[in-house]
Amino acid sequence: MSWQEMRFQTISQETCEKEFVEPFMSILPEVTAPDRKVPFRQKILWTAVTLFIFLVCSQIPLYGIMSSDSSDPLYWLRVILASNRGTLMELGITPIVTSGMIMQLLAGAGLIDVDYSLKEDRALFNGAQKLFAMVFAFGQATVSVLTGLYGDPSEIGAGVCLLLVIQLVMAGLISMLLDELLQKGYGLGSGISLFIATNICESIIWKAFSPTTVNTGRGPEFEGAIIALFHLLITRGDKTRALKEAFYRNNLPNVMNLLATVSVFAIVIYLQGFRVEIPVISRRARGQRSTYPVKLFYTSNMPIMLQSALTSNIFLISQMMYNRFPENILIRMLGVWSTHEGSSQQYASSGLAYFISPPHSILDALKDPIHTVLYVTFTLSACALFSKTWIEVSNSSPRDVAKQLKDQGIIIAGHRDTSVYKELKRVIPTAAAFGGACIGALSVMADLLGALGSGTGILLAVTIIYSYFEMFVKETAAEGGIEGLFL
Amino acid sequence: MAEPSGSQGSLRRRQGGGAITNRASSSATMLKFYTDDSPGLKVDPVAVIIIALAFIGSVFLLHIYGKFTRG
Repeated sequence: MSWQEMRFQTISQETCEKEFVEPFMSILPEVTAPDRKVPFRQKILWTAVTLFIFLVCSQIPLYGIMSSDSSDPLYWLRVILASNRGTLMELGITPIVTSGMIMQLLAGAGLIDVDYSLKEDRALFNGAQKLFAMVFAFGQATVSVLTGLYGDPSEIGAGVCLLLVIQLVMAGLISMLLDELLQKGYGLGSGISLFIATNICESIIWKAFSPTTVNTGRGPEFEGAIIALFHLLITRGDKTRALKEAFYRNNLPNVMNLLATVSVFAIVIYLQGFRVEIPVISRRARGQRSTYPVKLFYTSNMPIMLQSALTSNIFLISQMMYNRFPENILIRMLGVWSTHEGSSQQYASSGLAYFISPPHSILDALKDPIHTVLYVTFTLSACALFSKTWIEVSNSSPRDVAKQLKDQGIIIAGHRDTSVYKELKRVIPTAAAFGGACIGALSVMADLLGALGSGTGILLAVTIIYSYFEMFVKETAAEGGIEGLFL
Repeated sequence: MAEPSGSQGSLRRRQGGGAITNRASSSATMLKFYTDDSPGLKVDPVAVIIIALAFIGSVFLLHIYGKFTRG
């Protein structure tokens, strides 16, 4: 009886959502799917064009902004959202990711009932995701313009305010369409991951080779680590001191940071190969043996993504509250913020926010061991926990995998077919939790070594690049070897 | 952002022959767009690129216009 009631409830919720979304379905833009398989070289072309548009958009400043040199409240989120302050990509992929995450969490938690095998349900789910993304884009644009992120709204004038909102919403719409274009099979991978990886790689390359000079009081110095190394070696008389300066200078990217970045890259790629292989037998094709690999990084970069979304939101709220009510004891417990020398960016200096933010350098980490220990414990456990949760949300839990294998008529070698689930339940959650913790540990390590781009950024970039590499190999193999590329 | 189920779901074949089918979706990501058609305003991919370029162009023009009017 109660089961029927529950069922009835979900149906009524569903129809409610349907009624809400359906009127918009016919005006939501949708990229037409390719009518046949797009050849690999064309895919590369589409991907390159998309990337080009993204890069141009993340360089053009928004028309009508007065100032953007106050402390950036979204500083911590920029990395995972591929956004650039004050440019058309100010929101970046924020709306898509936010709406995607919320919808998927709702679906995973069973709050909205989506049957992926029904075409109608899928269309509705996608439509709702897009609609929410546009609503988010509009909301966020309006809020950031009206709260004076780009200068006092009364000073800018209503017309320009409207223009700012239009620019931000249009950019959101375009990034959504570009993402859909890639996902529908015209290009490789998805726009979201492509944009994130590009954004991070761009900042790493920039910090390594930037030709801009900064005056530090001892004459102009180049910002880029490699350029600075050669510049210092050539201009300074004392070569050993010049080397030391290039390797360990404090306020600008140095060669040590670059080396740390490269080594984190290498370690992550090495660990990508770690997997547990479960021997399986197909029951349909008699006697055919193969393996079902469970990777160490089973959830890929999701744990670090969720962990960083969590901490950045805490930072955002704490920073805003602290600037409004700096005396309140509860808000001070959440976080006390102060600016660092030489920039207007605020950093947490005590309170909860301080203990979950990474230390600035190894020296800082040694000076305040309690902070370091708490930070490491928090990051590792949060990553492990998120990783374990994510497999449930994303339909890759042992039960789901067991069902997939059963549908394909596959059993684990040396077991009866009922024990597939048991065997998977033994391996997958452990792999997910341990892999999540590993990702967390790598991110902590990158942060402590001062790798260019934050630890989160590097891990996202490497995992995305690696998955692109896998895709490349697969595609070229399908097209008959690497020669297919150049013919 | 790649979710694992894509690469995990497919089976690596050790010996040739036979048919263990790989799962269809190769790039399952956060946003699950599907390749089948749903009711909506159909946009050609070339149109998407043109819209994007037109948008970039108009923002450029706005900047130039702003330079002239502000002196």
